[in-house]
Amino acid sequence: MGGPLRFLLSNEFGLIVLVLLFGILFSTLSPAFLSKFSLYALGRTSAVNIMIGFSMMVVIITGGLNLSVGAIGVGAAMFGGWLMQAFGMPWVPGVIGGLAMGAALGALNGVIIVRSGLHSFIITLATMSIFFGVMIYLTRAESYREISPAFTSYGRMKILGVISPLLLVTFAVAIMLSVLFRFTALGREMLVAGANARAAEISGIRVNRMITYCHMLSGILAGVAGLMLVSRTGAAIPSMAGQLGQDWLLPAFLGPVLGGTLLTGGRLSVLGTLLGSFLVTMLTTGLLLMQVGAFWIQTYLGLLLLAAVLIDLARRSYLERRKLL
Amino acid sequence: MNQKFWQSEWFGPLLITVTAIVIVSSLNPSFLSPFNIQILLLAISVNAMIAFSQMIIIAIGQMNLSVGAIGGMAAISFGGMMEVWGIPWPIAAVLSLSIGLLAGIANGALCAYTGISAFVITLASLSIFKGINLGITEAQPFYDIPDTVKSLGNDTFLHPLPWLVLPAVAAAVLLWYLLFRLPLGRAILAVGGNEHAAALSGISVPRIVIVAHAISGLLAALAGIMLVGRLQIGQPTIGDDWLILSFAAPVIGGAILTGGHVSVAGTFLGVAIVAIITQVLVLFSIDPFLVQVVLGGLILWAVGINRYREVRAHRKIAAGAI
Amino acid sequence: MTEIFNAQGILKTFPGVKALEDVSVSLTRGSIHALLGENGAGKSTLIKVMTGVYRPDGGTMMLDGAEYEPQNTHDAIVKGIGVVHQERNLIPRFSIAENIFLEHLADQPLRRIDYPKLFQDAQRWLDLLEIDADPATPVDRLSVAKMQLVEIAKALSLNSKILMLDEPTASLTPHETDTLFGILRRLRDDGASLVFVSHKLEEVQEICDSVTVLRDGQNACESRRLDELGRQDIVRLMIGRSEMIPDWVARDRAEGQPVLELSNVSTKLGHKAVDLKVHKGEIVGLYGLVGAGRSELAKAVLGKFEITDGEVLVNGISAKINSVADAVGRYRIGYVSEDRKSEGLVLIHSVLENVGIPIWRRLSQFGGFLTNGTVRKHTVPFIQKLEVRTPSLEQQVGNLSGGNQQKISVAKWLAAEAQVLIIDEPSVGIDIKTKAYLHELIRELSDTGTAILLITSDMPEMIALADRIVVMNEYAVMGGFNNTRDYTEMSEGIMGLIQGDETAAA
Repeated sequence: MGGPLRFLLSNEFGLIVLVLLFGILFSTLSPAFLSKFSLYALGRTSAVNIMIGFSMMVVIITGGLNLSVGAIGVGAAMFGGWLMQAFGMPWVPGVIGGLAMGAALGALNGVIIVRSGLHSFIITLATMSIFFGVMIYLTRAESYREISPAFTSYGRMKILGVISPLLLVTFAVAIMLSVLFRFTALGREMLVAGANARAAEISGIRVNRMITYCHMLSGILAGVAGLMLVSRTGAAIPSMAGQLGQDWLLPAFLGPVLGGTLLTGGRLSVLGTLLGSFLVTMLTTGLLLMQVGAFWIQTYLGLLLLAAVLIDLARRSYLERRKLL
Repeated sequence: MNQKFWQSEWFGPLLITVTAIVIVSSLNPSFLSPFNIQILLLAISVNAMIAFSQMIIIAIGQMNLSVGAIGGMAAISFGGMMEVWGIPWPIAAVLSLSIGLLAGIANGALCAYTGISAFVITLASLSIFKGINLGITEAQPFYDIPDTVKSLGNDTFLHPLPWLVLPAVAAAVLLWYLLFRLPLGRAILAVGGNEHAAALSGISVPRIVIVAHAISGLLAALAGIMLVGRLQIGQPTIGDDWLILSFAAPVIGGAILTGGHVSVAGTFLGVAIVAIITQVLVLFSIDPFLVQVVLGGLILWAVGINRYREVRAHRKIAAGAI
Repeated sequence: MTEIFNAQGILKTFPGVKALEDVSVSLTRGSIHALLGENGAGKSTLIKVMTGVYRPDGGTMMLDGAEYEPQNTHDAIVKGIGVVHQERNLIPRFSIAENIFLEHLADQPLRRIDYPKLFQDAQRWLDLLEIDADPATPVDRLSVAKMQLVEIAKALSLNSKILMLDEPTASLTPHETDTLFGILRRLRDDGASLVFVSHKLEEVQEICDSVTVLRDGQNACESRRLDELGRQDIVRLMIGRSEMIPDWVARDRAEGQPVLELSNVSTKLGHKAVDLKVHKGEIVGLYGLVGAGRSELAKAVLGKFEITDGEVLVNGISAKINSVADAVGRYRIGYVSEDRKSEGLVLIHSVLENVGIPIWRRLSQFGGFLTNGTVRKHTVPFIQKLEVRTPSLEQQVGNLSGGNQQKISVAKWLAAEAQVLIIDEPSVGIDIKTKAYLHELIRELSDTGTAILLITSDMPEMIALADRIVVMNEYAVMGGFNNTRDYTEMSEGIMGLIQGDETAAA
């Protein structure tokens, strides 16, 4: 079948349509939605949410998941914040330190999962508790507020009046991830290891190493998200992802699941995750703007996730019946 | 049956529990004071309910992330019905339990009939239930809790045994009877052990999945209601911190996460171990934040042991044991 | 003999395919009936129709004199058609007794189970099938053979009128197979009606009374007595022509430096002092029964299992292989798995992705970058050479036929320019035409200099292809000889070696 038709039936196209539809809906109902400030805020918030989605996506491709994204993200951000406050480090080494912490925690997850042969669910459930607990213990639950001003200025900077530099970082990461999984041997090997570990191993791929890399990458991306939040709020706050970092879980899964990343592993869509997370952020922002009960937002997001998986199910069975898949 | 009792999975936790009690009480005699025992039992009673609520889902080889959200929703319904509508507490309790039951049935039906993984379904429902909780309470607690409820949630009926022990023990006995003596419970474990085989034998897998989730919802709601009594306040945050514990206790008790095998006694002991450790951290004034670290560590340790046990058993069969 | 089951004119179509067309089967009491057919002949569709998985689109079935229209799999069991599947249908942690009576869990959900009585009832079945175990034993502690007997007990306990056995001997040792056959014969003599599905013609001839053969979704023969048919007749019915061993000449290429040499290799899995040489351009056939340790030896060479003693030499130099990645990357040893779907291929990925896996690293430039164009250049020639039939290179491998899948798993190693290729049971689950094609390909491949170690339990395949035959039994090499391509002589020689008759070694 032809390329254009295939794209019209794809998840990504569906998401673009939804984004446009809701965009039109919100801007007609509330003109403030298209104001410069609102668009800027939307971009800045989605930058973080997309990054959280990426962080989960790169683990989902192994057929596993990472419940500790929030704990790692906060841990990395706190470590970065500590480096900047306690040693007065400039932001570049501080950020590198934070990302290194994210990578280390992610790699630790990966190593435990690979060595034990246990499912990542239970391992990352445990490490989520451990990472967060250690972080709170070490920081005494105190925030680091003396963050390099140069760093926090990025979080407030506006390019052309509406674009946040954070969004550009997210786009850059999206491009890097696309290149990684499409145009490098490493990324392809990670995907194959996730799709069918036994076949990958017999074909000469070091599966355990690839799975560890996926978790490490997840840790780094969670760290990026955490540090973006630091840049935006101007402080590294232990509670910025909620108790145990649980507040990140829903956005982390919403993006990839809406975007068509296969939960059984082996297939991903960077663009889909980006659009999925963006859609979620837009809905949240729009609903808040229209003041439709701020407290109910979580319910809407839950219903959205449910609707997304159900629609995806229907779409797949339709495509299968029409032999289009 | 032909297994020695010291080989069963609850023996390890029992040994640890007893050893921990002996060591801790010798270091700090106030540990075994009636008051402390009462506190300990209160914690164990509520937490056992939380753990059982997850255990029944582990039995069918799934997971339920929404245990805490259901508990929280039931808790604020309980508090709200009494404060806002002035409903007598027993009726409010029954109604809140029904809410938990319905929430569980909804989870189960979605898992059973869509084929979407329980993880995603319960992640979504976690968010929905928690959202309803926040939507109703706007994050404000219900303070007006009847004295009877407060008393039932804290006082003892036979010193130092608190009232809350009764529902916990009843739930444990009933669950054990269900899972190991009744066809319904065996069917739950059969679905967890080999879904395909269970279906071939005429067991309706969707029905069993729904039943398991319904029980889970009911137990979670019960835990929420018990906590309202214990905290003497209808807190919207009830349930927020249940997730880790709900998995820790069953796996410490030897439950296999792929399903088909759980231990009620083991889970109970798992809860006891967690409670003792938490108490110890308080008694020796160690940073309470470390509880999280210890809980996580316990999970890793327990799943490691269970895994080792499985691998070893497998090797034995490969070597032609029978 | 009285008829117990009869199917007439069964029709089953799937979108675009007629899976079964006018298929008839008749079964009698007190007999063992063979159901035969190549893969894709409609055998499994027929089983699924009989066991209620599919509803037929036409035709009638009669069971014990009554119309038989199963609504679902469970309904079929209730009505009296029991199945013992290849995959284990037991609940691992449940006792033998509970597994046998699993059916009862469904009827009265809240009535206390009477365990003493359950164990007592189970003991009767255990006695009947001569299973030596306590009914309270959890089934996951039993050997595979005993698990299978428990499954048979389970099916029998439901008063099955017909018991279907789907490849029951696939994972049994010869001894266990004998025991099973003894029990099946006794059940038959007691009046049971059994359907035996197997690929092993020797077994079919040994135990079955009558046979139905399917070919291309139609009856090649319907319920004929087996004693009227010879092996060649059955094969002709199955494939439409007699089994052919191509008249290739045997070659002697066992000279010079071996490309792959195992010297006194022992492994953690229990291989003892294995010596084996494969030379350039040579096809060495590794014969042995299931469980002889052949695939395991291959995987030890690949670095998947630890070698405890001895060494593996590649081109005369001691090889350090710590992982499959070393074997593939450093020594160019390829392995075509017998288990295509879970070990050979990534079903959810495209043809192009699958064929390229082992060479991605080699093809990447500038620190790991890779384009589809580069991969195409190095894989498409082989995909074409093997005549893989696929709508496009982007097609998911899972959507292709078994034969095309097998071609892809071979093409992968051609592209990787393997100098040693270990091919494990290459013709399992592929049609006869592709099989013949693969055989030619393997010969051709050896002519270009690839050293090939062929693992197969298919005796004709072994004798058709191998230059030299090495026989393994119980994780040790029993001996070897050059292939004279004389079927009788070779098969006798092989069987002699398996039974430990050293003198048979030429």
